Amino acid sequence: MWILSVLPSYAIHGLLSVGIIGVILGFVLGFIPLIGKYKLPIQIISILVLTLALYLEGGLENERLWQLKVKEVEAKVAVSEVKAVEKTVEIQEKIINKTKIIKQKGDDIIKYIDKEIVKKEEIIKYIENCPVPQEIIEQHNKIVNLSSQSSGEKK
Amino acid sequence: MRTLIPVILLLSACATTPVPVERKFPPYPSALSEKCEPLKPIEPGDKVPITDMLKVVVENYVRYYNCATKVESWQEWYTEQKKIFESVNQK
Repeated sequence: MWILSVLPSYAIHGLLSVGIIGVILGFVLGFIPLIGKYKLPIQIISILVLTLALYLEGGLENERLWQLKVKEVEAKVAVSEVKAVEKTVEIQEKIINKTKIIKQKGDDIIKYIDKEIVKKEEIIKYIENCPVPQEIIEQHNKIVNLSSQSSGEKK
Repeated sequence: MRTLIPVILLLSACATTPVPVERKFPPYPSALSEKCEPLKPIEPGDKVPITDMLKVVVENYVRYYNCATKVESWQEWYTEQKKIFESVNQK
């Protein structure tokens, strides 16, 4: 209700008080001569004011409850944002560590091939006598270049 | 017309507005923004030794595992973020 953002809450409470006082004046203290003269207008106006004030009081309470809910959701969002950042950092570190380990293990195997495997007699003999046939290399490279070929086909 | 304006104003006073709770989508880990390295081909030559071929195969396995790590991390990141995102709506 936009009217609640325009009217301060004390104005609504004041309106309710005016309404209640008006009803008391109009319906209970009607025997007093000065009030008795304007009894009917006081009764009508005070009932209208009281109705409006009660309606606005209800809106005000509803607004208060909503504000509480908003605060609750905002707190939850803040917690979730912190959790999200923590999880992102955790995954980032996991990726870096895992990638490092994979790279290290790959490098170790290549070093082992260069240092140990190539020195073995039977392998030296094999390398000298049996080079990898060109067709095998071509087939290997074909599948290696599959990604660039398929993206080229799309164009 | 004179009575209509206050009635419209009174009714529009009851109009509700959506609750403004801004939620930011979390940024993904920077390591996931890197593309997977393309596989390495074997340099063709007259006499390619089997050990050279093996080294290329090892390098390609390393690239594959690194790429698989990124894909799995994307899946994990998304699943976890979804859980966190949905936890806000749960009572």
